[in-house]
Amino acid sequence: MKIFIVEDELSLQNSMERYLTSERNICVCASTYAEAYEKLSIYEYDCVLLDLNLPDGEGLQLLKHLKKLNKGAGIIITSARNALDQKIEGLSLGADDYLTKPFHLSELNARILALVRRKNMSGAMQVTFNELMIDIDSKEVFVHGKIIYFTRKEFELLLYFIVNKGKAISKAAAAERIWGDDADMADSFDFIYTHIKNIRKKLMDAGSNDYFHSVYGVGYRFAAT
Amino acid sequence: MKLFTKYNIILSFVGIFGLLVIGFLFYNTLTHYLDKQIDHDMVEEIIEVKEAAAKNVFYKPHEFEDLIVNYKPIDNLNQPLTTLYGDTSFYNPLKYQLERGRYLKTQLILFGKPYMVTVVASKFEREEQIKQICLIIFLPMLLLFGILLLINRVMMGKLWRPFEKIVQNITKFNLRQDHAFEPVNTPIREFKTLNDAIVLLSNKVNIDYREIKLFTENASHEMMTPLAVINAKLDMILQSNVLDNDYGEILADLYKATSRLTKLNQSLLLLVKIDNNTINEQEQVDVKELVVEKINYFQELIHKRSLVLITNLSESTIFSNRQLMDVLINNLFSNVIRHNYEGGTIEILLNQSTIIFKNTGTKVALNAEKIFDRFYKDKASEGTGLGLSILKQICVKQDFNLNYQYENDLHIFTVSF
Repeated sequence: MKIFIVEDELSLQNSMERYLTSERNICVCASTYAEAYEKLSIYEYDCVLLDLNLPDGEGLQLLKHLKKLNKGAGIIITSARNALDQKIEGLSLGADDYLTKPFHLSELNARILALVRRKNMSGAMQVTFNELMIDIDSKEVFVHGKIIYFTRKEFELLLYFIVNKGKAISKAAAAERIWGDDADMADSFDFIYTHIKNIRKKLMDAGSNDYFHSVYGVGYRFAAT
Repeated sequence: MKLFTKYNIILSFVGIFGLLVIGFLFYNTLTHYLDKQIDHDMVEEIIEVKEAAAKNVFYKPHEFEDLIVNYKPIDNLNQPLTTLYGDTSFYNPLKYQLERGRYLKTQLILFGKPYMVTVVASKFEREEQIKQICLIIFLPMLLLFGILLLINRVMMGKLWRPFEKIVQNITKFNLRQDHAFEPVNTPIREFKTLNDAIVLLSNKVNIDYREIKLFTENASHEMMTPLAVINAKLDMILQSNVLDNDYGEILADLYKATSRLTKLNQSLLLLVKIDNNTINEQEQVDVKELVVEKINYFQELIHKRSLVLITNLSESTIFSNRQLMDVLINNLFSNVIRHNYEGGTIEILLNQSTIIFKNTGTKVALNAEKIFDRFYKDKASEGTGLGLSILKQICVKQDFNLNYQYENDLHIFTVSF
């Protein structure tokens, strides 16, 4: 997948690029309005990550330009401003999603994948990992073709890990995925542990392998080995 | 004491004292003057006596003159030959009663013999006159004085009205609720000056307050990008396989601190937004649905701390802002869970016009004055210290009534819509 990153904070841009590249994407970056404008006009991308505050222009103008070009790329706005009206303006101008800074890279990746899935309606609404199969539409999980029941939060968490498979995900990122802004609740990190334990148990009871690996006690990695 | 009550008291004291002094002086002068007149009349009587003696008769006064003349033969004329005047009481044979009067004593040679002649004139009529004069003068004066006091009272009340209005408007002046100071229109220069000074002051305060809010907003926004960098870098560090487990704890702490800082920033921004009325779309909000949603949302937290949840929810739909209502219920929930102990209870009561959250917790009542202050929290709390002040601010903006009580070991938060 070809992803265009518009971000003026270079160290952030760099991390986003590295993370997404390791997910086997091709990343192109721009840090100014002019550079972004030029690259957007010339090349085609599957997904554009757009920062709204650029040193030499408004990100929303880029968005309008992009829509005029009608290239069909998915657009995710990444902004430090969490204002509802800006969100609405961005989305009504044709952005597909709005991610407020600060965000976790795993969250960004999950949003990109969800966006691409939505864009290509023909695309698979099912994610498969060895003996595991997840139907995103009906929110069902199958192991060896046998259905397993998960709570909504467990399902969300499992899906989050699978789309970020092979990557270490911190408990903070996982907690934020499930509880959003309230993830600061004193012991929310401990819940991730409980949830993961439950998911693991349900999967293994159904005859699946254990794919969750603890990473330094900080987070988990979902991987075959 | 009111300024003009004090003023009236002083005025009354001075007025009454002045009236007494003036009355005393006036009365004395008048009496003195009238005595002189009587004395003068009596001297004329003596002349009459002498004239009558020239005709060889004792002079007898006329009845209407209201005086008596006494002749008393004496042996010799006593030197010196003085005429004495004085006050006396005497029996008035014309009226058959004792009266006060003036007397004149002089020695005269009548028909070749020395006599002591005494003229006594009644002062009765003159005194009556003085009384009349005093009454005629003092009664209207007293009346005037009374009227003055009354007018003072009414006028002062009226004149000070702009001042009272100004004080009233200052009391209503509230930065957080956007109650600007309403200027008071008055032609009185002193009050005008006061009014203008307060308008100037309140404008300055308003501008400063707005600047502080703007500063808070900008500062919080500016911090979001560095926070995003920290988050991203932490995520990258987590991907590397070179760390050993000792660093896990450090990483976890960094994640926690970053997450707290982010939450703090978001809370500050939310407060500023509520303050600025930027969240104001109103719609029908089903409060019961919202509460049920939140119960589901917080169930793991409730379950993990073995909290007993008791609910009594009636249907309740109110016209309000959905986002703010969400934050309101959310903060109430976070509060009762966070400040509870293992195995404690949470009670939620909802009816059409009120929602009540009760929780067990510390065994002492919290300081109801302070718990809604920004950054007021107990040391053990890991929260931002902004949850309750956000709650309070939402209630202020939405015209809800927020109340805290401590009863039967339960902390009770009541919000009346």
